[in-house]
Amino acid sequence: MTSPHADNIYLPQTAVLDRVVEDIPEVRTFYWHFEEPSLQTAFRRFRPGQFAQVSVFGAGEFPASLPPSPTEPETFFTIRSVGTCTAALHHLQPGQRFAVRGPYGNGFPMDAYRGKNLVFVAGGIGLIPLRSCIVYALAHRADYGRIQVFYGAKTPGELMYLPNLREWENSAGIECYLTVDRAAPGWTGHIGVVGSLFRKPGVEVPVDNTIAFVCGPPIMFRFVIKDLLGMNLPAHCIVSTLERYMKCGVGKCGHCCIGVAYVCVDGPVFTYEQIRRLGEDI
Amino acid sequence: MRARTLARDDVLKVVDLLRRNREVLAPFCGRGRDTYFDVVTDDNRDRVRIHLPNPYYPPKRYLLPHIERLMRSRNDHGDLQYSPTYDETPRALFGIRSCDVAGIAHLDRFYLGRDFRDPYYERRRRNLFLVNVVCTHLRLDIDDQCFCVCTDTGPAARSHFDLQLMDLGDEFLAVAGSPAGEAFFEHSIFRPATAAHVSRRHEILTTVRAQFKTTTSWFAATVRYVSQGNILDATWEEIGNRCLECGGCTFVCPACTCFTVSDRRVGPDEYERVRLWDSCALAGFTRMAGGFNPRRAVHDRRNRRFFRKLAHYFIQRELSMACVGCGRCAAVCHGDVGMPSVVEMIRRATAPTDTTTPLVNAAKTPP
Repeated sequence: MTSPHADNIYLPQTAVLDRVVEDIPEVRTFYWHFEEPSLQTAFRRFRPGQFAQVSVFGAGEFPASLPPSPTEPETFFTIRSVGTCTAALHHLQPGQRFAVRGPYGNGFPMDAYRGKNLVFVAGGIGLIPLRSCIVYALAHRADYGRIQVFYGAKTPGELMYLPNLREWENSAGIECYLTVDRAAPGWTGHIGVVGSLFRKPGVEVPVDNTIAFVCGPPIMFRFVIKDLLGMNLPAHCIVSTLERYMKCGVGKCGHCCIGVAYVCVDGPVFTYEQIRRLGEDI
Repeated sequence: MRARTLARDDVLKVVDLLRRNREVLAPFCGRGRDTYFDVVTDDNRDRVRIHLPNPYYPPKRYLLPHIERLMRSRNDHGDLQYSPTYDETPRALFGIRSCDVAGIAHLDRFYLGRDFRDPYYERRRRNLFLVNVVCTHLRLDIDDQCFCVCTDTGPAARSHFDLQLMDLGDEFLAVAGSPAGEAFFEHSIFRPATAAHVSRRHEILTTVRAQFKTTTSWFAATVRYVSQGNILDATWEEIGNRCLECGGCTFVCPACTCFTVSDRRVGPDEYERVRLWDSCALAGFTRMAGGFNPRRAVHDRRNRRFFRKLAHYFIQRELSMACVGCGRCAAVCHGDVGMPSVVEMIRRATAPTDTTTPLVNAAKTPP
């Protein structure tokens, strides 16, 4: 579609909300599509790890990770209601319109990771951006070595994407280990922080030729990084996506600028080697 | 040669000629130190000033307004409609100082460079004609805080203007900096310039350059120290302790680019999206929804601002530096941590030859 405003990097495009699925408390998955079919086709070429800017006019705009893999047919966001704009999105009903622009950012270089073991370590809603990579890697299973997922949440009720987790637990091509900080009635799995899964009997994390994806709350990030470095995984083989307050997504508003990088255009994916040189808390 | 002369009495005729097809903004004096850019009308035309202290509120606002509407939206029974709103008014900035011309050159590099071009800035910039006036009046044009001689942006801009006027005493020298500026020479008020005019220009500039009080000769060294991460945390803390977190330095800076975006209601089911100047000096600048703020301490924010302005990495990224030596930050800062003071504080902390004090501190300072 050529519009007279095609050069406007801040102008989002109209999207229609198809359906909303409650994932865990306060977190919902919003399935949507662009009203204009050609935009939908173009958008679906995004890379795992990229993000989009979501507009609810009247409330504002916010950056959101893209949890789907480009190999999946549907586009969706998984959003926690945490501020004004995300709450406004939570109030939308299926059929209503909002607006999206993107995809933005560098994304994970999944092609460069071919032939490597992939270790995914996620805490809480940190699974949202990593879900894209996991589904992508499974869709290109032959391209990668071992695939491991270590995922932890506070309680069993806060484990995200439960149908996916169950599927991964029961698939041959992927090792999926779950843990919770606090058990609840009926929970028979592991209890403890994510890092404790590495030391669980029977678990063996490959270190050679491995890329570790780490996403989660700051405290979990710090401990997991310590564990991984302790296993002699090099810092340049640990990757994460950074979250920052952003207004534009295109390197102009200045909010996400840390060290020598604009998270929106130079990231949000960085190796741990890069992150520790940026000189700011994750 | 792209130079002409202009009789003293004809200088404001440049404003008249520009007003034929543009909105012209020019500097005026209020009371005391108050100076400001305003739209020239028939009433105030005779009060346009050639020599005056540079207005604190920077003329960059004609390219990046303090508050600018980006788009309007309407939600009609679920039918969402929205469209961008552009300002494409032809404008001319008459009397813009060389430092502010360099500021606009920096904004050009930043907003129109790299992968994304800012469509709002681009439209305003395309329609803007710049008439630079060289600072030559030692008392009126040059403040105690000016340090363009250190940032190499003045007192006479070398490029990025359409027309440059310089007071030679009995007459003015006009230099064209663009095809549009050169076309302007067709008007009969301009007369050929001679080699004598050009040497008079050199003489005046030599005299003017020698008059700057704030010379911050350590500016280049500071760029090197900041780029290498060789500034002690204690120095940033000293700077941070003096910062009152008002954001003033960023709001008056002709080269600051940060903005925030906000939606506001303008009618039933009607909203507009606006962008507003934002400041890295403010605590909320990096605070995310939910409350997590990766940059909490005030000295981290000061470190950030000066690193962004002075680090070689960013100078190379934009091929221009985000400090143009206008001295406004020094003039408005309550804690006296504007650029010249920061350069001096860094010099004081770093220059001592006490070799037992390590100059490099590893973790906190960005590379």
